[in-house]
Amino acid sequence: MTSFQSTIADGEGIAEELAEGQREISIAEFFEKNKHMLGFDSGARGLVTAVKEAVDNALDATEEAGVLPDIYIEIEEVGDYYRLVIEDNGPGITREQLPKVFGKLLYGSRFHAREQSRGQQGIGISAAVLYSQLTSGQPAKITSRPKGQSRAQYFELIIDTDTNEPEIKADEETTWDRPHGTRIELEMEANMRARQQLHDYVKHTAVVNPHARIELREPGLDEPMKFERATDELPAETEEIRPHPHGVELGALIKMLEATESYSVSGFLQGEFTRVGKKTADSVIDNFRDVHYGRELSWTPPRAHDDRDVAAAVTEAVANKGKAATSAFAEGVAETVAGNDRTSRAELATIVGNVAETVEGDTAKTFGGTVRENAVDAAWRAITGVDADGDADEETDESAAGDEDADSPLVADAYALVDEATSTRKDDAAVQAMADALTRRFLNLDGGAFRITRDDLERLVADAANFVAEQHDATFGETARENVVEAFWSRARTVPDDPPKVRDIAGDRDTSADLLAAMRTTDILAPPTDCLAPITAELVEAGLRKEYEADFYAAATRDAEVHGGDPFIVEAGIAYGGSIPAEGSVELLRFANRVPLVYQRGACATTDVIKQIGWRNYGLDQPGGSGLPNGPAVISIHVASTNVPFTSESKDALANVPAIEDEIELAVREAARELKSYLNKRRSMQQRREKQDVLGKILPEMADKVSEVTGRSRPDIDGALARIMNNVSVEREVSDGIVTLVVENHSDVNEQLEITDIVSAEPTDPSDGTVVDMDGEWFVQWKPEVPSGDERELTYAVDDDAEFEVSVGGVETEKLTVNT
Amino acid sequence: MTTESDARDELIDLAADFYDQFAGGSIPEMTLPTRTKSNIEYDAESGVWTYGDRTSTRSANSVRGARKLLKAAYTIEFLANQLDEGRSSTLRELYYLSESWDNDEAQFSSQDESNDLVEDLEIVTGVTREDFHMRPEESGATLMGPLEIREQTRRGEREIHCQKDVGEGGYQIPNNPDMIEFLDDDIDFALAVETGGMRDRLVENGFDEAYDCLVIHLKGQPARATRRITKRVHDELDVPIAVFADGDPWSYRIYGSVAYGSIKSAHLSKYLATPEAEFVGIQPEDIVEYDLPADPLSDSDVNALESELEDPRFQTDYWEEQIELQLDIGKKSEQQSLASRGLDFVTDTYLPERLGEMGVI
Repeated sequence: MTSFQSTIADGEGIAEELAEGQREISIAEFFEKNKHMLGFDSGARGLVTAVKEAVDNALDATEEAGVLPDIYIEIEEVGDYYRLVIEDNGPGITREQLPKVFGKLLYGSRFHAREQSRGQQGIGISAAVLYSQLTSGQPAKITSRPKGQSRAQYFELIIDTDTNEPEIKADEETTWDRPHGTRIELEMEANMRARQQLHDYVKHTAVVNPHARIELREPGLDEPMKFERATDELPAETEEIRPHPHGVELGALIKMLEATESYSVSGFLQGEFTRVGKKTADSVIDNFRDVHYGRELSWTPPRAHDDRDVAAAVTEAVANKGKAATSAFAEGVAETVAGNDRTSRAELATIVGNVAETVEGDTAKTFGGTVRENAVDAAWRAITGVDADGDADEETDESAAGDEDADSPLVADAYALVDEATSTRKDDAAVQAMADALTRRFLNLDGGAFRITRDDLERLVADAANFVAEQHDATFGETARENVVEAFWSRARTVPDDPPKVRDIAGDRDTSADLLAAMRTTDILAPPTDCLAPITAELVEAGLRKEYEADFYAAATRDAEVHGGDPFIVEAGIAYGGSIPAEGSVELLRFANRVPLVYQRGACATTDVIKQIGWRNYGLDQPGGSGLPNGPAVISIHVASTNVPFTSESKDALANVPAIEDEIELAVREAARELKSYLNKRRSMQQRREKQDVLGKILPEMADKVSEVTGRSRPDIDGALARIMNNVSVEREVSDGIVTLVVENHSDVNEQLEITDIVSAEPTDPSDGTVVDMDGEWFVQWKPEVPSGDERELTYAVDDDAEFEVSVGGVETEKLTVNT
Repeated sequence: MTTESDARDELIDLAADFYDQFAGGSIPEMTLPTRTKSNIEYDAESGVWTYGDRTSTRSANSVRGARKLLKAAYTIEFLANQLDEGRSSTLRELYYLSESWDNDEAQFSSQDESNDLVEDLEIVTGVTREDFHMRPEESGATLMGPLEIREQTRRGEREIHCQKDVGEGGYQIPNNPDMIEFLDDDIDFALAVETGGMRDRLVENGFDEAYDCLVIHLKGQPARATRRITKRVHDELDVPIAVFADGDPWSYRIYGSVAYGSIKSAHLSKYLATPEAEFVGIQPEDIVEYDLPADPLSDSDVNALESELEDPRFQTDYWEEQIELQLDIGKKSEQQSLASRGLDFVTDTYLPERLGEMGVI
């Protein structure tokens, strides 16, 4: 304590002293110290991350160039280090750009684009370069051959961590056998302890990029792992989109306001955002007016028996316009006002203006600005009892809640609204007190036009309610207050004031915030989805099919949704059975923008969603009814978005965004429903098979026994068997050179069959069927539809000594009994 | 009744039915009356309860049904062979014998299953188990009283007087009572007694001699042979039958199966039931009247009584009155409780009084 005191005491120069030690930190230097944030926390993981970054870049580059990716990955042991080589057949990188792409952190084409891509920040590959130079001291060796150039360019470069600039060690022309593409060679301190993750990453990349061909060589593999492409279709090209109004934050909005060339808010909104046209811009601006200027409360016009006379007031306010014109003007205003349910000050001004125009046209008298203003003031006073200068008739004091206030024409109006907004049980005195209290507060508003924002209105109502509660012992609860606010607000009118110019908004943080609030409250179409390239359900399935030998595959692609202004699409696939290991929990493949997520499975939103689905419903074992299900299944989930929310910079796990989680759940459930019906069908087929097995054993034995007991020859039991199994039976009868195939359908559904009889002699007179001669064998084919419980006879004529072989398609073999 | 070859033919006919069903391409099946309490009906003509119209089908359509029919085929073969060879076996032996069959699927999993199957075959073929030469394990009744019979035994004919030629144990009836011929008798009535203790008491006290009574020992729930001999005594000797059992719901069922026929063998009621048999006691009324030592009714007793109220066989004024009385007093008594009034009370007082009331003596 004492030492601290003394330091402060003679610490006059301490700030300066500290300042000497303070200097700018280069981004490269920062990441040098924080490697883990980018996924380079260990040698094992660093290698996987470097491969991942290079492959992601390669895939992005090739796709962008419209080339089917052909990627080669090689890892070699070089003394104490590992050498990593990654080649692609992309468009190559120009000589000017190349050093920056690989040798400068946060340099990239993606960060500012709202478009689905694997890389986003422009950190990945340069971080790998940095990691390699830090651990091995070796520069990155990069060869690139842009399309159409005869020779390739070879660079050796390191990153100057002080300046975050590339330092070129070698720059020379070279030859390369690839016609175009990029090759990067990095040497780094590493180990292969994460071999499994590396293999998973490459395999999963192949699953989710069925259009890519990938080859991996590493010291632990006897022969290279090769992943061939399953489709020649490139992913749909993505369009870059402008930001969506629901997806920007205040700082970003101010930056955009500063940068835009538009003058008007409307132009700015339409020019800078997606899904904003004239109409939407107008809605935003109206909402902005409400937030920024507030609305004007509107009031009911005087009734016929009322002593408030709008016409008289207007007449009085007009001088020297002649009797006829004055009266036409006054009557016109009064009639229009009376014709409206309610009127706000701004509306009154419009009415007066309109009537003045009409009367001017009719009478050739001029109603100038001053006259109109006076008329508005006078009419307003007649309607609301509020003075021309905008002040209430008299200053009121709460304690001396005067009779004058009760006389204000507004009180009756307020009473009607409060009464309507509150439950019928509220007693009349309380409603009256509330109306009085509100009116007094409205009269105290500045300007006489009763202009108020919703927030202020809420405060005002709350204040009045508190007053009523204190003075009259009548409570207006939360709901009642909200209802009252809503009653007044819904009848208040948006003001016609022009919104400020963009320049002015940009200069004022509060106004910008108002604009942002207005943008967020406006209903706007979801962003377009052509900025996304989902894999499509078909290819999700093809990818799984390619890498997993399963009995069943299902996939689902959801429609695009939006989170925070960024569109996203979720896709799910399931593979089941086959050679997928049945022990332990299912394999979960996670993908974001076609990039496999290998680490931090437990922290990922996808895992959370899978765990809380009740898998028993879908026929998978799930111990305890929650958690990862068990069984021979692979579940793959792909989230594509212009901005995938990750939990950290290393992009290992999806953040728990409710909108995305909901979609993941729906996509997985969609695929799981198919799995369920497959498993159900399989189960019933299995039961059928078991039944068939047992009955197929018992019934012949029973038939033997009864033939033994009765001393008759063994009966033919196939008909009985087919009937029992609800089967389709096909039976051959041959007599007098006529072959009859009797098809009986004992099942409870109609069967569409394909029956081919291969005959050794030429058949004639086939019933309906077609006959094809195949080198001395004849194929007689029918495609009969046999309704449930019905039978068909298919006949043809043939020599008696002909041989036959029948094959039946269109029905599961479990359901088929062929006896020919 | 049926001869051995008749019985055999019936069995073969059933097998032939299965054969024909197979050959016709249809699923083998066997239709039987539904053997539940709700499907027994009173046959006014014979005065016994027989199966109603509802039927169940044992079909090879399901794995269970197919197994049943396979077992039926094996059993038919076994019974037909047994009849051919003139041998007999017990129900329990059939159960064990199935173990020797070459087919695992045809083996019985419990004796209930083989018993049921034999009953099924009886119903379908209309031949009784006795004519299949199937015996139950338990022996039938013993008789004690002035009756002379001739029994056809394997070792020749025997003429036996059921009082003079037998020891205290009485005459043991054969499994097939139809092998007996009644020669002569001096019987006024027959008393069917539930428990061994009471039968011995009656014999010791000379009740059979004193009242010219044939004492039939039911041995609990009576075997078919017991019920058959009871019916024959009633029908052929034209004597009244009185049933003397405990005063609890289970004993009423014993009376019920003697008088009305049992649910499981309702197909044989006309052959086994003696509708004229009357219940002596112990009646619930007697428990009150003689102030007999009693036990409280257990829950299962109450359930059994309530189920008897719903049993069509017990829906008579007499039984409804007695059962409701018993539910009311909540007590039951055994036959032996009469000993509380002395060992001779039953023969000197209770039975003469009750049988007198009933008009038997």
